[in-house]
Amino acid sequence: MQLNFTANTGFFGAQRNRFVQFQPDRTLEEVFALVAQIDGMTGIELKYPAAFADVRLVQQLLQEHNLTLSAINVDTKDARHFRHGALSARSAASRQEAVTRLREAMDLAAELGTTIVTTCPLADGYDYPFQVDHATAWGHFIESVRAAAAHRSDIQLCLEYQPHEPHSHILLNNVGKLLYVCAEVGLPNVGANFDIGHSFAAQENPAEAAALLARANRLFYIHTNDNTGDGGDWDMISGAVHFWHWLELLYTLDQAGYTGWLGGDIAPKHIPGPVDAYQSNIRMIQRMYQLLMRIGMDKITEMIRQDGNPAAAFETLSASLLPEWDVQPG
Amino acid sequence: MNKLAIITAFLGGLHNRYMVYQDNVPLAEKMARAARIEGVEGLELCYPADFDDPAELKRLLQQHNFGVSGVNFRSRRSGKWWRGSFVSEQASERQEVVNDLKRAMDFAAEFGTDRVTTCPLNEGADTPFEMDYIRGYDYALETFSAACAHNRDVRLCIEYKKNDPMARCLVGTAGETAAFCMLTGADNLGATFDIGHALIAEERPAQSAVLLHKANRLFYVHLNDNDGRWDWDMLPGAYHLWEFVETFYTLRKLGYDDDWYAYDIFSKELDTVENLTAGMRLTRKLEAITDRIDCDTMEALMTERNSSRTIPYLYSLL
Repeated sequence: MQLNFTANTGFFGAQRNRFVQFQPDRTLEEVFALVAQIDGMTGIELKYPAAFADVRLVQQLLQEHNLTLSAINVDTKDARHFRHGALSARSAASRQEAVTRLREAMDLAAELGTTIVTTCPLADGYDYPFQVDHATAWGHFIESVRAAAAHRSDIQLCLEYQPHEPHSHILLNNVGKLLYVCAEVGLPNVGANFDIGHSFAAQENPAEAAALLARANRLFYIHTNDNTGDGGDWDMISGAVHFWHWLELLYTLDQAGYTGWLGGDIAPKHIPGPVDAYQSNIRMIQRMYQLLMRIGMDKITEMIRQDGNPAAAFETLSASLLPEWDVQPG
Repeated sequence: MNKLAIITAFLGGLHNRYMVYQDNVPLAEKMARAARIEGVEGLELCYPADFDDPAELKRLLQQHNFGVSGVNFRSRRSGKWWRGSFVSEQASERQEVVNDLKRAMDFAAEFGTDRVTTCPLNEGADTPFEMDYIRGYDYALETFSAACAHNRDVRLCIEYKKNDPMARCLVGTAGETAAFCMLTGADNLGATFDIGHALIAEERPAQSAVLLHKANRLFYVHLNDNDGRWDWDMLPGAYHLWEFVETFYTLRKLGYDDDWYAYDIFSKELDTVENLTAGMRLTRKLEAITDRIDCDTMEALMTERNSSRTIPYLYSLL
């Protein structure tokens, strides 16, 4: 599998959480310059509309830094428009604004040579029982996605599911609902921006989720990261916590023939800066993939096709670590 | 009956990682907002933000006839103390934190409260091997002990929380808080028992209140609710109705019944005044349900430990 790395630039400017602000604000030129410093990074993912105030500048920067625009990431959680929802909002004006943004981004994507438009519909959620009319909200959500995706078939519209935040419940909160939306909308260009950390936060095993998405031809794009599995989307370096699960995921992507992008989505909170964070993320994924190669993909395939295999599997897997260390039984 | 206070930080700018719901407003406007909230009797003041002009702060408190439930020492600040304040690896930073905390304690005494509360959110780690926990606890013992020694009449309250913005905080549960406080040996170090934080730590709040009380560390109570997964700072009882009633019943038994409840309610996309008014009304309603519990009956039921009788009894009260 060729590993194609791209950077979600959302983490390259000023950061804020509920409690503190960190990292300086950066111009688009500065963001490009930082991304270009990262060894192995060939793509860049930019936010719409924020990064596209001057489209010619974007084109110029892509060329100057020899980076490929991997995806346009559409902001559908701007509180000025989407305080009470975007794609699922009761307000027709809010829904229209969200659909319009997606359509504009799809046109822009075609113009700039990428086939991927992605959005994480985080304004579409709720906190309390009886806060929303679920049937209506879901109806609106499906219709809005269909209205956007139908705009043009040559662009893949990726939905990024996330279990919660900023609401306790996000409508699109797991892989099953993502696949349900794809089936309901009924258009082949709707699929997943599969964020590995979101899958862990949703208490999924990403390898299984990836297999489901690939099987349904909905695995369009990937965001890589890790977290502690406590539900928090900590955007950590891939493999920092779920090492074996990450190996299983990479094996699954390899077997599924995934040829798309692996986007970095890493919070540079206590890491000196986004370059260090994203560089380390790439190295981790490359090394984990090399480890799989060391074990052997065919050997793994043979191993997982046997029932009752965990003891033998972990003997095989752990033998790949410290290969010079040989255990003599008895 | 406990009086009701609001933490001033929840009356101004509201944002999270994704959305800005409301920009910040001056202290006078926060106070004016609080005054429109039905049922509010006081404020928990935030240090340093609210103390730029202490004379003006006093004047505003008097104007609105607000009491002070406590001073909230912010140990996480944008642009400083980035890698932990109480547990920073830099001795100079730890000293700076202690000095500042002492100032907050002095202000507490000056403003008529014996309580300084702090939520040590930056004291923790995201990944394995990020911090040395042994030194971390040593630093925390050193800094909290030093602050406590400054004025034994001011009670320093640690508002424990499992995570956010760190994946795991050093003082995350009632048990960790009780143990930590006891390790310092300082009688004026205890807990701010935030019911929402207890819930995300997968605690039974009433049980945690008892443990903290038994350790003589139940100093202060914050009210809010959540879904048990994250600190959403929701309206009390929206998710855990009976847990709130059980907690209120237990707090009365423990003697925490003539003090303050302070609210951590994050109004987000909702109107702040309306939402906090709802929080206060719900609290009084939950207390009214608690009032209906006949203590002799409940004590007999709890002796019997038979939920097939206890739960129907509770629903018979509604």
